[in-house]
Amino acid sequence: MAATQVLPRPKAYDDTFWKPISLWLTTTDHKLIGIMYMVTGILSFVIGGIFALIIRLQLSQPNLKVVDPETYNQMISAHGVTMIFFFVTIFLTGIANYMVPIMIGARDMAFPRVNLLGFWLVPVSIILYYSGFFSGGALDAGWTGYAPLTEKAYQAKSLGVDFWAMSIIVWAISGIMASTNFLTTIVALRAPGMKLTRLPLFVWAQISTSILLLVVGAPLAAAMILVEFDRQLGTQFFTTQGRPVLYQHLFWFFGHPEVYIMILPGFGMISEVIPVFARKPIFGYMSMVAALFGIVFLSMTVWAHHMFTVGMNTYVEGFFMLMTMLIAVPTGIKFFNWIATAWWGSIDFEIPMKFAFGFLATFLIGGITGVYLASVPVDTQLHQSYYVVAHLHYVLFGGSVFTIFAGIYYWFPKITGRMLNKTLGEWNFWTLFVGFNGTFLIMHTLGLEGMPRRIATYSNEAWAATNLIITVSSFLIAFSVAIFLINVVRSWNHGEVAGDDPWRANTLEWATASPPPPYNFERVPPVRSFMPLRDLRESGELEEELTPEPAPA
Amino acid sequence: MAGSTDRSPIYFGAVRLSPRSVVWTLGLLLATVLVSSCGVGGLSPIFPNPVSPNGQNIYNTYIGISIPAIIIFIGVEIALLWVVVKYRRSTQPATYVPPQIHGNTPLEVAWTIAPLVVVLAIALYSFVELQRDFQPVSASNYTVVVSGHQFGWNYTYPEGFTVHQEGSLQTEVTPFVVPTHRLVRLEFQGTDVIHSWWVPAVSGKTDAVPGYDNFSWLKIDEVGKWRGECAELCGVGHSTMQIIVQSMDEPQYNAWVQQQMAAAKSSP
Repeated sequence: MAATQVLPRPKAYDDTFWKPISLWLTTTDHKLIGIMYMVTGILSFVIGGIFALIIRLQLSQPNLKVVDPETYNQMISAHGVTMIFFFVTIFLTGIANYMVPIMIGARDMAFPRVNLLGFWLVPVSIILYYSGFFSGGALDAGWTGYAPLTEKAYQAKSLGVDFWAMSIIVWAISGIMASTNFLTTIVALRAPGMKLTRLPLFVWAQISTSILLLVVGAPLAAAMILVEFDRQLGTQFFTTQGRPVLYQHLFWFFGHPEVYIMILPGFGMISEVIPVFARKPIFGYMSMVAALFGIVFLSMTVWAHHMFTVGMNTYVEGFFMLMTMLIAVPTGIKFFNWIATAWWGSIDFEIPMKFAFGFLATFLIGGITGVYLASVPVDTQLHQSYYVVAHLHYVLFGGSVFTIFAGIYYWFPKITGRMLNKTLGEWNFWTLFVGFNGTFLIMHTLGLEGMPRRIATYSNEAWAATNLIITVSSFLIAFSVAIFLINVVRSWNHGEVAGDDPWRANTLEWATASPPPPYNFERVPPVRSFMPLRDLRESGELEEELTPEPAPA
Repeated sequence: MAGSTDRSPIYFGAVRLSPRSVVWTLGLLLATVLVSSCGVGGLSPIFPNPVSPNGQNIYNTYIGISIPAIIIFIGVEIALLWVVVKYRRSTQPATYVPPQIHGNTPLEVAWTIAPLVVVLAIALYSFVELQRDFQPVSASNYTVVVSGHQFGWNYTYPEGFTVHQEGSLQTEVTPFVVPTHRLVRLEFQGTDVIHSWWVPAVSGKTDAVPGYDNFSWLKIDEVGKWRGECAELCGVGHSTMQIIVQSMDEPQYNAWVQQQMAAAKSSP
């Protein structure tokens, strides 16, 4: 390689997090917007976690009064809304915003300014929601906000519900913008050679997520608008005199696919992480894609399984039960393919791989308890109990949070140019794994013993010991997250320099500098399979494409 | 692993801690606490066998689903552990190159069909149980109207009197009394927001939705008292909406009914 041909490596603005505020406010760069999404998500994670700790303190023993029931109901609602709407979904949008254009060899998203607007609607949505706390009390009907409890007749004194409804409307608009942008980008801006059958599975996951959010975002906004009509214009859609169950149908038509909006990108990240650290290609690429779309389709036909106790026709219940259980099939395909990918592999248990396996071990439990909950007779016993709380945390914590951590440890070197500290990573993983299981595994038994969810306190002494163990474990999770935050802040400025491709990965984002320059690639590498970087490495073309970074001073 | 890296270990005094050792110690401690507290209660892997036949059917369905569920759980976790133990790069010869397999169609078809058969079987089994659960209620001629409000339950008996079960956490609430050996149809009504009537030791829960009649039933063959709670967030007093179901044998029950009717007559 002739030295004269090597161009100086352009820097990605600057290597540190600190950039001029005007740049952050006005940038249309998908990477900076992605970072802002992710930072917003992590901050929400911390806030939602604080709500969770307050809830756990309150429940640690019977008849406690850490907070009064009014505040408690606001805490559980804020915990749910923050984690679901402002942490998981937002963080995943961020990581996709950063990675999807690079992974398909594009320079930016298809609509950079829509991207900018879509992101800035998120803080608007968050501020709207928390404004409720200053209006006499935030939403206190749970994150689902079931009518008629949210109606004027029962919530006259505060504007919390109104702020929540507005916040969710803004959030839905932002999500629809992001989804449109992702789909257009992936359809229109792929690099030469990047056929649909060569897309990384994370990009496929983002396609399916975007389709879901496009379809279900609008009904959610519609439900919220109707709630507002009821409250402010005196209509009777969901009031005691109206049809409260209609609200549940509208909400869960969004609410259940939302679970998959929060987990499919995680599936995508796991499908990226396992092949890289096992040194094997993903097993069954096409069946992985097919399974994603199977889940997309099925997830829109299952919403009423949240409503088996409202008294529906048993044949309708049977339909929703069947469709719900069928989701186990595509999910099972993905599970078996992941295990088959690792089978016979040469597995390096770096931190991202540990989180990937932590995800597999725990998400399995969430999947299996989901089958119990889908069974109508069993669900009438388990519904609205702590069994459901345990199940949903196995799906959303064991699922989304573990995959998010896997994704962060995997892509942090690309985003910042520096590795996350490995020792702190080990602490992070093991304390999270034990803290998580200590918190949520025994929560199943509380539900079986008859403890309903969302009760501000309880007088049953039989639940005391279990609740205390759960509370102690929940603080171990908080400890773990603190380690993670320290690791991120420390490593962002002082971490080991990563280089372009620290993991010997397969996909295009590792074929550019870390962090990537504003336009992502000097020259987009040729794409000949769904593992373009590995092809280059094996054919010996890599030296041409990847020039060594000058040694750090 | 942590020990093999050149990163500085974390020191607590003179003891060198690796995250794994700490976590195993914590995990073992936790497991010890769990095992030792099993006798205390609150940690059963299954709900108590309910006293009403519909509750027992739910219990049986739960056990039935558990059989494939536990087999699948153990099978997959063993496969995961096998991968973790067997295919670590640190224990492999440096020359090991993993086979570059992209898939195996018969295998993929097999693990599509097999779960499909299992879930179809579970769905069918659950659906049969569901249909069975709704048969007996049409044969009942004894209907109690259960009406939920913020925060308590009213039980209106066919004899015409109403038992008010006002919510409280401090004191035991007024029991909802039912006769033994008799199928009691429960008709649920909501007067303000949605509530959900749940006594796990009797049967599953039923929502009391305003403007919408919902129903369930119970048939208890033994004398006793069981506790339950409202299971649908209904406002500030949600946790106080306690439920007590008490069953009495026929003579005792008739005496109780006479007493209630007299009380209803005497009050203006």
